[in-house]
Parts: sequence; C-alpha cells; structure tokens
Amino acid sequence: MSIFSPTDLDAIGLSTKVALVATLVSLPFGFVMAYVMTFRRFRGKVLLEVAVNLPLTLPPVVIGYLLLLLLGKNGWLGHLLDQAGIRIIFTWQAAVVASAVVGFPLLVRSIRIGMESIDQRLIHASRTLGARWYDTLFTVIVPLSLQGILAGSSLMFARSLGEFGATIIVAGNIPGVTQTIPLAIFDYVNSPDGERMALALCMTAIVLSLLVLFLHEHFGRKLARRD
Amino acid sequence: MGIKLQAGMITLLVSMSFVANALAGDINLSAAASLKEVLNDLGEGYTRTHAGVNVLRNFGGSGALAKQIENGAPADIFISAGQDWLDYLVGKKLIDKASIGILARNVLVFVGDGRVKVNGMQDLPKLKRIAIGSPKSVPAGEYAMQAMEHAFLTPDIARKLVMAKDVRACLMYAERGEVDGAFVYKTDTRLVKRARTMFTVPQGLYSPISYPMGLTPAGAQKKDAVVFYRYLQSAPARKVLARYGFILGKE
Repeated sequence: MSIFSPTDLDAIGLSTKVALVATLVSLPFGFVMAYVMTFRRFRGKVLLEVAVNLPLTLPPVVIGYLLLLLLGKNGWLGHLLDQAGIRIIFTWQAAVVASAVVGFPLLVRSIRIGMESIDQRLIHASRTLGARWYDTLFTVIVPLSLQGILAGSSLMFARSLGEFGATIIVAGNIPGVTQTIPLAIFDYVNSPDGERMALALCMTAIVLSLLVLFLHEHFGRKLARRD
Repeated sequence: MGIKLQAGMITLLVSMSFVANALAGDINLSAAASLKEVLNDLGEGYTRTHAGVNVLRNFGGSGALAKQIENGAPADIFISAGQDWLDYLVGKKLIDKASIGILARNVLVFVGDGRVKVNGMQDLPKLKRIAIGSPKSVPAGEYAMQAMEHAFLTPDIARKLVMAKDVRACLMYAERGEVDGAFVYKTDTRLVKRARTMFTVPQGLYSPISYPMGLTPAGAQKKDAVVFYRYLQSAPARKVLARYGFILGKE
C-alpha cells in the first residue's frame, strides 16, 4: 500500500486500536446498564435512561469540550490525575474516552434489545429451580443476549472508528500518536493539495465501516430470527 | 397545477434572494485566523462609515480558506498568512494578479505557561507537548517547522507536536495549559492572559512572515470590494494595524 504515508498507516492502525479498546472497556458497563434498565424497576429510571442516551443527541463537539473541561490540566478530575502523574488530554487514551462516551448509548440499546427478547419464563424457571442470581445471569441471560451484545459491540466499534468531533478536541491531532483516520482526513481536506490523500483515506474509512456494518447486520438478523 | 405553482414559487424565491444579495453590498472577505480582531475592527469601522456596505468575514487557516475559494466559496478578497496559498490561487487563476499587495508583516514567538523554563529553540526538547498549526494548511505551522528544522530539532520532536487547525487553536491550547507551549504570532499574544511569551523565534530560522492579499476575479468586478480593498492599504487602516501590533513596511 504505497499510496499511504507512514503517518497515514499509523492513523489506520490507531483508529482500529482506539475503537477496539473503547468497545472492550465499555462492554461490562454497557452490559450492567442494559441489565439494570431491562430487569430492574426503580424511581428515576427515566432520568437514567435520558442521561445514558444524551450523547446520542448532543453534538460531539459539546462532549469533547465538556471532557476537556473535566480532564484538562485545570479540570477538577484532570487536576487530580495530573498530581498523580497521569495525563489524558492529547494522548490516545483521550480518544478512547471520547469514543467510549459517544458510542455508549448505541451499545446499551443493542444489548437491551437482546435482553428484552429473552423469554421471562426461562429466567423465572431458572430461579425456581434454585439458581442464584449470578447463575441465572451467566447461564441464561448472557448466552441468550449474546447476539445483542455482539450487535451492540460492532455498532459501537463502527461509531468509534468515525468519531471526530469530540476526539479532535481532547486527543489533539498528533500524527503517529493521536491522529485517527477522521483527523488525518480533516488535515488533508483543509489542504488544497491533499485531495488525493483525503480520498484514499475516505475509501479506507468506507471499506472499514462497510465491513463492520455487514457484521452488525449479520448479528442483528440472527437476533430477529430467534423471536 | 400544483407542481407549476411550486416551481413558480421556487423561481420567485431564488430570484428574490439574488436581488437581495446584489442590493446588500456584501463584501466577502476570507482572511487568516491571526487577523481576526484587527479585521473585525476595520470591517466594523468601515461598515459604520459606509451605509449599505457589509463586510462578511470568514477566518481560518490560510490553506483551508484557499481550498474553500478553489471549491467555489464566495470570496472577494483573500488575505493569506503566507505566500504559498496566495500563489496557489494565482496559479488557479482565482486571484486577480494585478491587485496583489501586502497587508502587513508579523513575527513568530513561542508562548507557554512557564512551568518548564524555555529560553530558546534549544530548550524545546525538554517539553512534552507543543502545539503548532498543521503545516499542511496553516502558515504559522509552516514557519514553526522551518524554524525547528533549521535549529535541527525535527526528528525527535515530531511526536510531540499537536497539529491545530489554525494558529488561534494553538494559542487556546497553550492558554488552557493543555500543551507546554505553542508557536504563534507575536500579535496573537495580545489575547492571552495566563500564557506568556517565552522567547521570540530568531528571524534567521524561518522565512519572513507577510500577509499577501488579492482580489478574486469576482471581487475585482465588485465596486464596493475594490474600494474596501484600497481602504485596507490606506493610512487610516495602517494605523489600526499598527495598533494591533502588526509590522508595516514602507508604503
């Protein structure tokens, strides 16, 4: 692939890494959140639901700016981390945080769809047969919502691959270090002589997105067939 | 009938918007981000004294602006922070060659929060994060890269460079303390409160910074744009530029 410069190849690798880590890190939290929203009843559930889904409708640039205020050197969390010698802003981990926040609602939604399709009688049956709550969780709920988990993970992975607005604010744009595919494209798009490279990277992004979305469709269909 | 009526309405609306545009006396100005305050000042002052004329200002990295103009963005006057992007548009016949002039000059400085002491280019490797304008489209970044190359800093420092979309984004990063320092223009430092100028980059390390400008073919046809363009080169405008810290050559 000689059309890409080394920093472009870094961008492709980095995007994949960021999307993968963001998805894996979010998965346990997404699962717990979906579980709580599907099987538990409590006051203020609507509020929680709105809060979880908020990143879906907020402009990503708002999320990026709020994260910068939170995690920046003078932010209240960033200040504490700074004293502990941890820096997040302008590192690839910041891109992970941005992607995780933006993609989280998609993950939770898909897992919920998977969980809601589980026949309640199976859960009741397992409990009456003496299963503890964690037995029920690992032998009934997890296996039966697996398609939803896979569908949600692939969707979140795809969303993370494309994350731009929040990422450019908190991850900066350091070629070879924090420059993901969308940031590299933005750099080329801004430059009159970058047309060819911008298009080459756009093609890469399209191919990656198509692959992941086909995968997502595949899981989604299996989920639908089960009903 | 319904479709005809719709088509008629659309034609009417479209033609009305064209008429409105022609009447408003709008001058479309695309200019380097570092000129924001001074051109806001000049543009607003001009609008006050010239009724019916409106200076619409579009600021950004010079390369990004050149690309917008190349792709048909409305622009009458283009002011770049570097020669490259003006030449680029001249090459595409999108700048009227006869109109080209220089608005002002500037100097490159390094700003930081002072937590790490830097007195010159040789101290930069001590820093962890340095913001520059993306050299692909921001002249301030190109000048910074030149300076670092001439100071033999480039190879080990490349992975510390945060590429900002324009010089003002660099300044914001330095002001917020998210980077240890940033390359910006001397005139930009008037806006910072927390960050301060650590050193002036030695002029021998980068090509002289000037703001070349020109009228687009559309602008050259527009009387209001030509008059405003002349005003930018007039003594009163130069006085304002000087007040904002820009360096002016001989008339």
